[in-house]
Amino acid sequence: YSIMLKSLVRAVGAAVRLSSAPSAAARALPLSCPTNRSPGSVASRPFTRSLWMLNSNGAPSGYRPKLFSSKVLSPSVSCGCGGLHTEGDKAFGNFLSDEIKEEKKIQKNKTLPKMSGGWELEMNGTEAKLTRHLSGEKVTVTFNVNNSIPPSFEEEEEAQQQQKPAEEEPEIVSTPNFVVEVTKQNGKHTLVFDCHFPEDEMSHGEGEEESDIFAIREVSFQPEGDSEWKETSYTLNTDSLDWALYDHLMDFLADRGIDNTFTDELMELSTAIEHQEYIKFLEDLQSFVKCN
Amino acid sequence: MGVVLRNLQKIVPIRRARLRRDVNTLRHILGIQKFDLGVICVDNRRIQQINHIYRKKNMPTDVLSFPFYEDLRPGKLPCTLHRDELNLGDIFLGVEFVMKRCQEESVDLHDALTIVTAHGICHLLGYRHETEEEWTEMLQKESYISSEYSRLTGRQLEPLMRRHEDG
Repeated sequence: YSIMLKSLVRAVGAAVRLSSAPSAAARALPLSCPTNRSPGSVASRPFTRSLWMLNSNGAPSGYRPKLFSSKVLSPSVSCGCGGLHTEGDKAFGNFLSDEIKEEKKIQKNKTLPKMSGGWELEMNGTEAKLTRHLSGEKVTVTFNVNNSIPPSFEEEEEAQQQQKPAEEEPEIVSTPNFVVEVTKQNGKHTLVFDCHFPEDEMSHGEGEEESDIFAIREVSFQPEGDSEWKETSYTLNTDSLDWALYDHLMDFLADRGIDNTFTDELMELSTAIEHQEYIKFLEDLQSFVKCN
Repeated sequence: MGVVLRNLQKIVPIRRARLRRDVNTLRHILGIQKFDLGVICVDNRRIQQINHIYRKKNMPTDVLSFPFYEDLRPGKLPCTLHRDELNLGDIFLGVEFVMKRCQEESVDLHDALTIVTAHGICHLLGYRHETEEEWTEMLQKESYISSEYSRLTGRQLEPLMRRHEDG
């Protein structure tokens, strides 16, 4: 039964992750890798060989195949800035402006979603910090949206998706690792929880049972207000932990507002920030390429 | 191993430490400490899905059991030697469903979850309630568990009477 059950649980899990976000997945280039990978490598073999034949066929000196002509490398557009501008740059710029338009179209909201429970959001680049004061205690949750989108799309899923219409492509969800810090009033130390969303790792494993929505990876004390991470502090690893202790740690976090509801909202917030930062990056890239 | 606890829902706040302690008390009462057991907390949507797939009942319920050993005689523990076979199976708790009933009947959620889990473990041990006779046998086992639980913890567990209709 257990195999049947696992596949059920995984199927249910996958169904949750699939939702309609037209062309949302189109931007994640790694997604389309498998399609390019195998046919690409097959196609490139005869291509390189024909090139080799061209070169070794005793072409008269002075003759160079058009492919090698220097024209491609020379700037063809000039704006007077002294920088290099190529046809490629121009195509790149046009591509980016289309991409930005598309991404803005699917952006759900210009403003970031609010976390319930009185959390205050502070941004520093791609790093977000949520703070909440709770009768003498300060709780902060920090996460970085960089590298927060798991490449959790399995081959079989991809194969299925290719046959499905575009609107059934999976929605991109950001599931960042996050650090919870709890500081007591007048406390010298901060209790630090290193947390993560285990789903991405689990979905690759064969026959793994479904994991909790979020999990604690490590717990340690760090000096209060110190941004330097002290490696010399004892670090409790939850891999081989007494489960009762683990449950108490989870209950401790739940009492401070870090529960499944919170982490669900955190995913939503992180996804929105990630998307916002992505669009910002595309705009920066566009103006860099265009040189204006 | 022991009890693998999973909370896959966000509707009902679950006290994990308490749930684990209660499940461990039940294992102690039934003498099944050496067996692994999965307890998975899910919401109405999820348990309805599972109920629909495995029992063709498209409605939420309080508990669904997936025994590792499918043909146990009620109460007879499997004779296993291998470590991998020291497993009784998984229990899906419909915690949203149970909470709703607790609100209607003013019952403590975790007490109710203990009863529902006891019922689920009985299924893992081969108890059924398809006939009147089976039902009586199962009810007797559940009353035994309740009284032992009260004796050990000092807390009274009130059986949820309507519950034998599903399960």
